[in-house]
Amino acid sequence: MSITVASIAAAVTRADKAMGGLEQILNDADAKLGDGDTGGMLARVIGKMAEVDLSSTADPGAALSQLAKAATVATGSSLGTLFATGLLAAGREAKGRATLDVGDLSSLFATARDAMIARGGASLGDKTVLDSLDAIAEALKGTETPEQATRDAAKAASEALETFRSQPNRIGRARMFGDQTIGIDDPGMLAIKELSAALVA
Amino acid sequence: MKKLMNKPSGFVDEMLDGLVAANPSLALGGDTGRVVHRAKPIRSGKVGVVSGGGSGHLPLFTGYVGEGLLDSCSIGNVFEGPTVGSCMEAIKLADGGKGVLRLYGNYGGDRMNFDMAGEMLEDEGIRTTTVLGNDDVASAGPAERQKRRGVAGIIYAYKTAGALAETGADLDAVTAIAQKTVDRTRTIGVALAPCQVPGSDKPSFTLGENEIEMGMGIHGEPGIWRDTLREADAIADEMIERLLADKPEGAGKRVSILVNSLGATPLEELFILYRRARATLEAAGIEIVRPLVGHYATSMEMAGASISLCFVDDEIEALLAAPAHCPFWTVTA
Repeated sequence: MSITVASIAAAVTRADKAMGGLEQILNDADAKLGDGDTGGMLARVIGKMAEVDLSSTADPGAALSQLAKAATVATGSSLGTLFATGLLAAGREAKGRATLDVGDLSSLFATARDAMIARGGASLGDKTVLDSLDAIAEALKGTETPEQATRDAAKAASEALETFRSQPNRIGRARMFGDQTIGIDDPGMLAIKELSAALVA
Repeated sequence: MKKLMNKPSGFVDEMLDGLVAANPSLALGGDTGRVVHRAKPIRSGKVGVVSGGGSGHLPLFTGYVGEGLLDSCSIGNVFEGPTVGSCMEAIKLADGGKGVLRLYGNYGGDRMNFDMAGEMLEDEGIRTTTVLGNDDVASAGPAERQKRRGVAGIIYAYKTAGALAETGADLDAVTAIAQKTVDRTRTIGVALAPCQVPGSDKPSFTLGENEIEMGMGIHGEPGIWRDTLREADAIADEMIERLLADKPEGAGKRVSILVNSLGATPLEELFILYRRARATLEAAGIEIVRPLVGHYATSMEMAGASISLCFVDDEIEALLAAPAHCPFWTVTA
């Protein structure tokens, strides 16, 4: 099964719709550790991505790069910029290939994860979106159909959120709350969980 | 929380329009419209000094553009880093052919975007260096000073780097003085009441009616303790004590002090703090040079204050005395 520009566009549309209900939930999650703007910022970023016209875009790699550029225009926040960095790296890996296969997804997520580690300086285990993406990259190894991929990704993101809930945040503003972050969901990890759940057919 | 504004989405752009309209020495630039730069183009052969950061901290980041200070500044949404596009534009507007120092606060988003902007501009032959403000002593212990966040004290580095750049010094020298100034500056804040991000339905943190938080950061980052309000002298004493306990290596007996309002706290209360801080420092055998009292780095309507100490040496002291002019800070010879 291949992934096309059209399926990427459809996923963005779906995520954009899902943000309607998620914006306040993510703002509230962020308010416990930060200034309560993660939902509003992601809604703006995904909204800008949904405005991109991908109808004449040549291949999936180019689509990912265009979406990354839209994200960088919408925000300079750390999560938004990391998100764009991941898309850009995945787009570079896919560059020039007319279609992508579901089997390529694991590697694309791993590439995004590694680029985000290099840019942001966080490590796996710090309780950030990187831990969610790492879990997704692992879960997508050997996936064969898009349906299975979205299901596996949503399950992995949900499990990562559960696993890290009992650990402290180790980077960024949340780090400063120390052990008070134990038992609290990281807003970025929560966003990945909710958005991947929204993509399940 | 009541605010004089129109749509929340227009908060930053409308503020910037008004800022440059009121101050002819400033101009707005770039396709993003999120770069404040000197109205007069940069002199060829001068090293550029650029800053940037989230909005909501006026005059910090945005307003320190002018002779003897910054050449340009990229501005993000309220409490969000500037976009990579606006960082690139700010660097280009500060490029006089001798390289550009990126001097901004130690925050994740700001760092990523300025780093990306610098990498992209390398291809265009613009050399950039970085110095990160990390003066907030409450945001990490002395052993992890590189993790500390940048607050009001970064203006001392704006001043010394800006002054040295005007003399025609090269990029390495301008970078070195900015780094030395950051290394010798410490800040601590105390919060009395929160602020609210435009468009958000809640304040960014909560504090009880009679509560204060010692050490809180400019985005509501957690501080050292939270307790009932006490007398100003006791607060000033504790802040000075904490700053002196974190004294940088090589610190002498001369400091510049900045007593800064976080937004809503009036000058009256700042002077009450300053009076005591000065007496406490003098009792410790420390001489004050070039004191600053006022609104230098805020969090919109947050109530509270910060105290910064810059432990000067002869070089820093001379650069602090050099002429400078921006709408919010003027030094005359």
